[in-house]
Amino acid sequence: MAVATGSSSCCKLAKPCAFTTSNSSQSPFKLKKFTASPAKSTSIRCTIARDPVVPMEAKKESDPAPWQRPDVFGRFGRFGGKFVPETLMYALSELESALHKLADDRDFQEELSGILRDYVGRETPLYFAERLTEHYRRPNGGGPHIYLKREDLNHTGAHKINNAVGQALLAKRLGKTRIIAETGAGQHGVATATVCARFGLQCIVYMGAQDMERQALNVFRMRLLGAEVRAVHSGTATLKDATSEAIRDWVTNVETTHYILGSVAGPHPYPMMVRDFHAVIGKETRRQALEKWGGKPDVLIACVGGGSNAMGLFHEFVNDKDVRLIGVEAAGFGLDSGKHAATLSKGEVGVLHGALSYLLQDEDGQIIEPHSISAGLDYPGVGPEHSFLKDEGRAEYYNVTDDEALEAFKRSSRLEGIIPALETAHALAYLEKLCPTLADGTKVVVNFSGRGDKDVQTAIKYLQV
Amino acid sequence: MRKPLINSLLPKTDHDHREYWKLNPGKFGRFGGKFVPETLITCLSLLEAEFNFVLQDTKFQEELSTALRDYVGRETPLYFAERLTDHYRNEKGEGPEIYLKREDLNHVGAHKINNAIGQAMIAKRMGRKSIVAATGAGQHGVATAAACAKLALDCTVFMGTADMEKQSSKVLLMKLLGAQVKAVDGCFKEASSEAIRNWVGNLEKSYYLTGTVVGPHPCPIMVREFQSIIGKETRKQAMEKWGGKPDVLLACVGSGSNALGLFHEFINDEDVRLIGVEAAGFGLDSGKHAATLAKGEVGVYHGAMSYLLQDEEGQILGTHSVGVGLEYPGVGPEISFLRDTGRAEFYTATDQEAVQAYQRLCRLEGIFPALEASHALAFLEKLCPTLPNGAKVVVNCSGGGDKDVDTVVNYRYNQ
Repeated sequence: MAVATGSSSCCKLAKPCAFTTSNSSQSPFKLKKFTASPAKSTSIRCTIARDPVVPMEAKKESDPAPWQRPDVFGRFGRFGGKFVPETLMYALSELESALHKLADDRDFQEELSGILRDYVGRETPLYFAERLTEHYRRPNGGGPHIYLKREDLNHTGAHKINNAVGQALLAKRLGKTRIIAETGAGQHGVATATVCARFGLQCIVYMGAQDMERQALNVFRMRLLGAEVRAVHSGTATLKDATSEAIRDWVTNVETTHYILGSVAGPHPYPMMVRDFHAVIGKETRRQALEKWGGKPDVLIACVGGGSNAMGLFHEFVNDKDVRLIGVEAAGFGLDSGKHAATLSKGEVGVLHGALSYLLQDEDGQIIEPHSISAGLDYPGVGPEHSFLKDEGRAEYYNVTDDEALEAFKRSSRLEGIIPALETAHALAYLEKLCPTLADGTKVVVNFSGRGDKDVQTAIKYLQV
Repeated sequence: MRKPLINSLLPKTDHDHREYWKLNPGKFGRFGGKFVPETLITCLSLLEAEFNFVLQDTKFQEELSTALRDYVGRETPLYFAERLTDHYRNEKGEGPEIYLKREDLNHVGAHKINNAIGQAMIAKRMGRKSIVAATGAGQHGVATAAACAKLALDCTVFMGTADMEKQSSKVLLMKLLGAQVKAVDGCFKEASSEAIRNWVGNLEKSYYLTGTVVGPHPCPIMVREFQSIIGKETRKQAMEKWGGKPDVLLACVGSGSNALGLFHEFINDEDVRLIGVEAAGFGLDSGKHAATLAKGEVGVYHGAMSYLLQDEEGQILGTHSVGVGLEYPGVGPEISFLRDTGRAEFYTATDQEAVQAYQRLCRLEGIFPALEASHALAFLEKLCPTLPNGAKVVVNCSGGGDKDVDTVVNYRYNQ
């Protein structure tokens, strides 16, 4: 989204910027279009300076300890914030105060722990992948040790449930009886419908009519779970239109309704909230690492779409400067093909879905349609905290192609008997480049963010098994 | 096959059959045994010796515990199903408390992996390089393929063509995991015969990984022992949660592995009721069911004496259930024994009742139960009104039901 910078005024952060919807996978906000220049189509880019934005130089010596993640305005450095219309400000403030209270609420924390243990199936194991480790062993017998954090073993088969459960419990505490969400391929919709069934909450999932046809089985799953799946026929009848409808619903019913956002994107306090609900991943990892080898991990790797599973693993270790944080995005058909979702490699800073962050946009600020073989990484933006960690040099971000991900998918299945989600396969794929550079005995923890049963049909087509 | 002579039943009070087993290895009262050709006797004895050794080998047990914890994801939770419990409350607000033992959360989504990983480890210890297995519903095939991938063993799974069509996604999973899937004309019984034939032709190098508590001794004991972790955890968790034991244990019964896995720990606890639920398919009188204990007679099948569904000439009858994993025409010999001694009770649930139970759990708890496990859940409808207030019921949620969504779709469409 770009504001034609014909005018000389800056876009101030305090005022909400109107912006267009995008074709992205997790887009909660559509506002009215703002035409800045009659010659171009409607789009806005919010810039914080007149000059083109230059990413900050990596500051490898900076100490993470004093960083406010986020600050009182919901910013991570210059990223994040609350770029939303007035109607939603109240809901966001209410959420924020609730979160602050619940952090110290013992009953809430105990109830959440109980659900995570007995319903979700936590804690998830930190599994020593013996055969993968052997695969990366060098001829002299040295090499890193590969551990997999098994989020695939969670109820519903991915990390998403950690956040869905937390938000549903929170919504109940707030006295909300209605939950809404939007979904593209259906994964987030199913996770939301699952927790609503568990907590007896009314669940409405907005889905583009076209997507409903393509994902009939997921629609059925959501209905079996008691959710109402509302078909959206406007526009192209896909995700972005479903998102608009969901926002319209939320704005109208904000008193009774909570919007379950699935990733660390969106306006404050969502990035912080979703991260904090996923932070159990990193907390468990720290304890398990100490039990297993008496130390910390040396390297953490996770795939990055919106960024929630990565933040869930990283957050605990951000202040441990000796722990390397590596995020892996989707390079699709390759970075130069124009068909990828590598936001942090190829994106520029702008406002998307209520937060300032990197995003894939063209010169006019139009969102570039992303591509990845994995639906969950197919997001043109990225959580603002990732943008911050990248610019600070605290985390490193790379990318792998569809083909590399498919190879890793097969490798994990054959060597460990664990079929990864195609999203997760991106993190595993990066091991090919990473392991030869690591010292002997380096402890690498890969966030195995989901299982790949859902991707079998896709993989079979490509892998000719 | 002629009808076998019926031996005298054990006195109904003799429930400590664990002692009985020690005196008569491989026998559960009149059930069990080793009805196999001579070629296999040595092999089975070797297996028995190996199994007895690993049972008390600390190193093996530690490795197995680690695999169960870090690879399979144990221990599985004992989950208090609050909304399901509410559903069964009467007008006065009274009713039993329903707990689900979440075997659906295991790696590859069912209890089958507990046994597959244990046996694959035994095979490796024995120096076997390749594993042979047969699968009907596919779950055992997938579990075996996964365990073999992890332990770097070659894996060949035999599957009936009829089953391969119905379970095509499972076939894909096995192939992705690196297993060879060999098609056999027919269904599970043909596939197992072919698998055994293959194994017999290569006894030195390969290992036949049995999926359930049937077959000649020591197979039923071995599988039950690996599955008994379910009951052991349940005892510990029940003590932690309510300071006591379960009152009722409920599990679906195909051949009986998940049921025995839950029950075994509590067999000597007379105050714990054991209830197994078989598949009544279209109804017990329709001829289309798999209710072996309800409608079967004693005979020898797959090397063991047990109840089985056979016609007057001793031919095995075809079976049907919407829960494909329950379609086995026989049942484990230990299950037959528990039934005849009265230690366990067995009932049935129809396809329709199972599908309703499936939908009920989705709606009330956000959990998709396997259609097999749904048979156990279905029986709650009849059981709960008879139980005292606060009775603790543990249902073995033996597998996840994501695999069954399209079956349920088709079932509802056809209604």
